[in-house]
Amino acid sequence: MSQSEMSRAKRHLETTRKMKEMLPRFFMRQMERRFSGSEPLAWCMVGVPPELLKAFDLLFEWPENFGTMCASRLVAPRFIEVAEGDGYSQELCSYVTNTMGYCKLTKEGGEPPEESPLPGGMGTPSMMLGSGFICEPRWKWFQSIATRFFDVPVYSSDPLAPPWDIDPRDPRIEEHYLSLLREDLAGQIAFMEKHTGRKLDLDLLRETLALSHEALGYWRDTLALRKAVPCPMGSTDYFHSIIPQMYLVGDREAVDFYREMYEEVKDRVDRGVGIVEEEKYRLIWFGLPPWFNMGIFNYLESLGAVVAYESTYNVGDYFEVDLSDPLEALVRRTWQRAVKMHDYGSETMPELCNPAVFGGFSGSSLLDELVGEYSLNGALMHLTRSCRAVSFGEVHTKNRLAGLGVPSLIFESDMADPRLWSDAQIKTRLHAFLETMDKAAGGGKIND
Amino acid sequence: MTENNRSSAAGRNAAIESEERIRRIKAKSGKPVIGYLCCFAPPEIISAAGAIPYRIMGRPGEDNSAADAYVEPYGCTYVRNILARAVRGELDFLDGLVISHSCDMVQRLYGIWTYYHPLPYSYMFNVPHQVSPWAQDFFKRELGFFQESLEKFTGHDIDPDSLKDTLTAYNLNRSLVRELYALRKENPPLVKGSEILDLLIDGGTLPPEDFTALLREKLAEAKLRSRLGGKGPRIMVWGSVMDDPALLLIIEEAGGRVVADDTCIGFRVWEKDVPLTDDLYTGLTEHYFINFQCPRTDRGPGVGRFDYLLQRAREYNIDGVVGYCISFCDPHKFDYPDLRDYLRKEGLPLLLVDDNYSFEPAGSLKTRLQAFMEMI
Ligand code: SF4
Ligand code: SF4
Repeated sequence: MSQSEMSRAKRHLETTRKMKEMLPRFFMRQMERRFSGSEPLAWCMVGVPPELLKAFDLLFEWPENFGTMCASRLVAPRFIEVAEGDGYSQELCSYVTNTMGYCKLTKEGGEPPEESPLPGGMGTPSMMLGSGFICEPRWKWFQSIATRFFDVPVYSSDPLAPPWDIDPRDPRIEEHYLSLLREDLAGQIAFMEKHTGRKLDLDLLRETLALSHEALGYWRDTLALRKAVPCPMGSTDYFHSIIPQMYLVGDREAVDFYREMYEEVKDRVDRGVGIVEEEKYRLIWFGLPPWFNMGIFNYLESLGAVVAYESTYNVGDYFEVDLSDPLEALVRRTWQRAVKMHDYGSETMPELCNPAVFGGFSGSSLLDELVGEYSLNGALMHLTRSCRAVSFGEVHTKNRLAGLGVPSLIFESDMADPRLWSDAQIKTRLHAFLETMDKAAGGGKIND
Repeated sequence: MTENNRSSAAGRNAAIESEERIRRIKAKSGKPVIGYLCCFAPPEIISAAGAIPYRIMGRPGEDNSAADAYVEPYGCTYVRNILARAVRGELDFLDGLVISHSCDMVQRLYGIWTYYHPLPYSYMFNVPHQVSPWAQDFFKRELGFFQESLEKFTGHDIDPDSLKDTLTAYNLNRSLVRELYALRKENPPLVKGSEILDLLIDGGTLPPEDFTALLREKLAEAKLRSRLGGKGPRIMVWGSVMDDPALLLIIEEAGGRVVADDTCIGFRVWEKDVPLTDDLYTGLTEHYFINFQCPRTDRGPGVGRFDYLLQRAREYNIDGVVGYCISFCDPHKFDYPDLRDYLRKEGLPLLLVDDNYSFEPAGSLKTRLQAFMEMI
């Protein structure tokens, strides 16, 4: 791997370009608070409701997102290698190993390593809030950090969902799961109250949820606009625009951001503006993106290929929930999403009740819908070696898509570790795949 | 033929024999055979429902390519191996399948397996990742749903007395296994680790009464033994599931004495009895969930989560630990650095063996293990 193989992404939307000013503003605000006293700070995992953090007015960091930033700045290999030196296998989730290396260097150097992407790195945690909703590594991640580096309390939530062959509408099953979700949330809140010394403000939580639902509503509507031909928004915009969901959801700023994004994309649809001149291929993307080389999407665009739907980080359907009891609203939101996925027949990821990641679950009737509604004619599947959780099910999905006449290409690399990226080889494969799609369109046979 | 091939071949013959045997038992008894993976869904409930529980075993080193049409190449090779076996029809004696939500790979195997190769009965036993009071309640309720599903399938209702009888029969085996383990507290040990694992593999694939007979026979014979060879470093094996004695045989060939373990099919399963509480589900929850030492269950941060291992190491007078990790085994691979450091502080070296479920190349494995034995 040489760094020159990696390319930064070109974004197409004004709104997502503007994030480059918006996020630093957010980070500066956090920094000021961090340095102004001894406020509690939580390291969090996707799956922890950002609304809850907001309602506690709690400082937070997302090591997962930090991993994507380290990856895109190409500093992840340095951190990962430090973790490997400690005995963490290269097979393990590179977001985790990235954090382990970062923590080790921080502990040893007494301050975050200077190559850290965020100014001053991540703040030192006083607690950790995990969520084991997608994968095993997420259970071990904070446990290991708190064992080796920062001796702080950890609470991991555990939102289980029914396996695909269990009826979630059976009232006894519903109660079986709902009671777990409710108590788990209560446990999380009790933990936060204890370690922040603050009482949960239910009114603030309600307000935050209302704002966050408003923002997510715009996001859902924006994604639906991508059904248009030509597709008005591509993957570089998509993947970057998930970030405000972690940092700003529950803020007015986030509502404004997603509304503006919606308006901009809508305007492009109205004017028939696509992101490539001649849209030859409309693709669906499965798996995590290669954060160190987001320019790969621009490469695809240069060949006339646009990704109109991504399986990962997709918040999926929007649910009306009754906010009068905001805690029950949080529980119901999780549950409704689980039931919805269940209705699609989530054969491979029965537990995935938070729709932030669809990867691997899509061997279901959802695929039929997507292919039709988004006029998709091909699929790219990024098989990430160190994250099997999200790439699991790609072969199965490929089988299902083949049944719908949609060809897929599975190619291997990683989300954060560029050492597993081989630029020339991957580009050759992508190119060849698009050519086979041409042949198929001309009546040829596809055998990839 | 390398020595290891010889070892695996021995394991393989035993495995083939166990599958032929279960076909015979099934034909004779007329009972359905229900295969299971992992140790959270109690086989006792399967037995009490009038079926035969059968712990599904892989075939280390065999070609897994039959799985490629259904799952990605990256993932626990043990699970891929089992899926390949199912695809090839080698497990066609199974009438049902029970998979617990243990690690990611096993949990996801359930969806793929039952989608492409549905069986007359299948159940995924859901398991929380923590042992909080509400997670324990969930586990208990899950036991109930599991029991119901079995009763529906076999048409055989389980009453508490019959469940208690079954638990008693299984507990008897647990105590016999512990007796066998105790014979290794001697120095040199009276039974080899590889011999015991062979027996335990049988134990997973036999009705409990048949296993009792086997265990009694082995115990009687072993107690009459004089010392087994000379002294050698006393080794504990920790790690991923082990359903073939190949690694233990290599350790023994390298001069080590495998006297204890912390693996599935090994001591994790037999260490304690299921408490016969008034409400049997309480005892089952304690045994199969709260006390079951699998690193997939979160026991909070800190090295206290390994204390039970240190205690075992002391009890068996261990000189060193061999860690065994199957490729892509997240739960064990994540724990390795913490465990290594913890044991090192206690003066116990840990050698990690990374394996793609083939125990190959046996030659270099043996060389590494020999060097380790010399070092300790
Ligand atoms: S889902 Fe994948 S990337 Fe995310 S924590 Fe789990 S293994 Fe890592
Ligand atoms: S060896 Fe590891 S990854 Fe494989 S099934 Fe067992 S715990 Fe899961």
